[in-house]
Amino acid sequence: MRDKLLAILHDSGSSYISGQEISDKLGISRTAVWKHIEELRKKGYKINAVTKKGYKMEYTPNSITADEINAYLDTKTFGRVVHSFDQVNSTQIPAHEAAREDAPEGTIVVAEEQLKGKGRMGRPFHSPKGTGLWCSLILRPSFPPQQAPQLTLLTAVAIAEGVRKVTDLPVDIKWPNDLLIADKKIAGILIEMQSDPDEIHAVIVGFGLNINQKQEDFPEDIQSRATSLAIAGAGQYNRAQLLAEILKQYEYWYFRMLEEGFGPVREKWEALAVTIGKYITAVTTRKTLCGLARGITKDGVLLLETEDGKIEYIYSADIHEQRST
Amino acid sequence: MYKVNEIKELIRALDNSSLEELEIRGENKTKLLLKKTASSASAPVSQKQDTAQAENREEQAPAPVFEQQQEQAKDPASAEKETETKSKADTSHLGEITSPMVGTFYSAPSPEEGPYVKTGDNVKKDSIVCIVEAMKLMNELEAEIDGEIVEILVENGELVEYGQPLFLVKES
Repeated sequence: MRDKLLAILHDSGSSYISGQEISDKLGISRTAVWKHIEELRKKGYKINAVTKKGYKMEYTPNSITADEINAYLDTKTFGRVVHSFDQVNSTQIPAHEAAREDAPEGTIVVAEEQLKGKGRMGRPFHSPKGTGLWCSLILRPSFPPQQAPQLTLLTAVAIAEGVRKVTDLPVDIKWPNDLLIADKKIAGILIEMQSDPDEIHAVIVGFGLNINQKQEDFPEDIQSRATSLAIAGAGQYNRAQLLAEILKQYEYWYFRMLEEGFGPVREKWEALAVTIGKYITAVTTRKTLCGLARGITKDGVLLLETEDGKIEYIYSADIHEQRST
Repeated sequence: MYKVNEIKELIRALDNSSLEELEIRGENKTKLLLKKTASSASAPVSQKQDTAQAENREEQAPAPVFEQQQEQAKDPASAEKETETKSKADTSHLGEITSPMVGTFYSAPSPEEGPYVKTGDNVKKDSIVCIVEAMKLMNELEAEIDGEIVEILVENGELVEYGQPLFLVKES
């Protein structure tokens, strides 16, 4: 009920909405409306109440709670089960546990702060309190494990589309799933899978999205490479609203992929990607390859044409664009 | 050729019986001989395929002895097949952990950390033995077998194929 009340207050924006109108919409008494308003105030919301005008939201604490997410959520299953924490080492840890305990597909774990946010190969991911989205989403796809890497490109598409819809900012994708605004990183994605050789038990999609950080909030060593939506755009953004839109996009593209295969996701990815057609350096654990990024295969594997005209298939690598000096 | 599982089943059946010896003659001059001796029940099983005649088989050492003989002297490829089968002979009783997808094999969670498992380590079904990564999807692979890691067949950072054996495991 509180999430619906929040949605109504968010919808009415800077204008007042009467207690009677709210009680009609929610099908509860005006006294009950008042009680819920009081509960929200206790949680840090500032709600103006003016006689004969009604209620108006003055300030939302921009918190990432189930109520706040629900107020914006427009999905069937994604984000309908929320485990929210003030502080965790990494949202991946409780998400893995929840997945092992049969949490349904679409379950999310969110936290205000991660102490040991991590990326690929155990690299640290800076995730300070209250500034961004630190989230893990549980998927249980029916396809075989060898198809799962396609989810990497799907995740990039879903987050890029969600952010674009809410903020209008030009989010680009760098193969396979780096999200950039003006060449600086706005998000980190870590996808982990629990599987045996023929069956996926669960895929845990972890992502961190930099939203309201100021440039000086980033550690010095990544300041030149990282940015936030607030730095790139105008002012602060509502984190719950962004999460709700990302989940909506994710659900849409995910079920489309289950029904129609990888094709539509791949097309959308190509439309948003900036890697293809560029001269790049691909650093793998074994070797470094330079050449032209020709495109991706039907599964999303990067095709790199080296100087001698040979096509290399890149499954995992750090990609750097070669810059003309 | 009999499948490994079929042979295992026959060995079990022989173990639980009072028979000393079991010989099956099949089509294509295939002959399968399983023999029990008093000495050891746990000695390794050896598998052999060659053109040798039946007389030699009494000299084969450890028991229970398993031989599969197929006469194929007229087949020009038989010599090659022979060595191939022999080189694999020692591992035929071992379990394999295979890769669920094409990707990069990592023996450790990060470059700074030690490997998940080493040769000689005991693993359980749910022990994580490695990561296979493809396009930044990290697959923490579980052993799915209880046993001892006998051999690690790939190196850190190597590209592995779908279904490629990564570890040999002596099942416990």
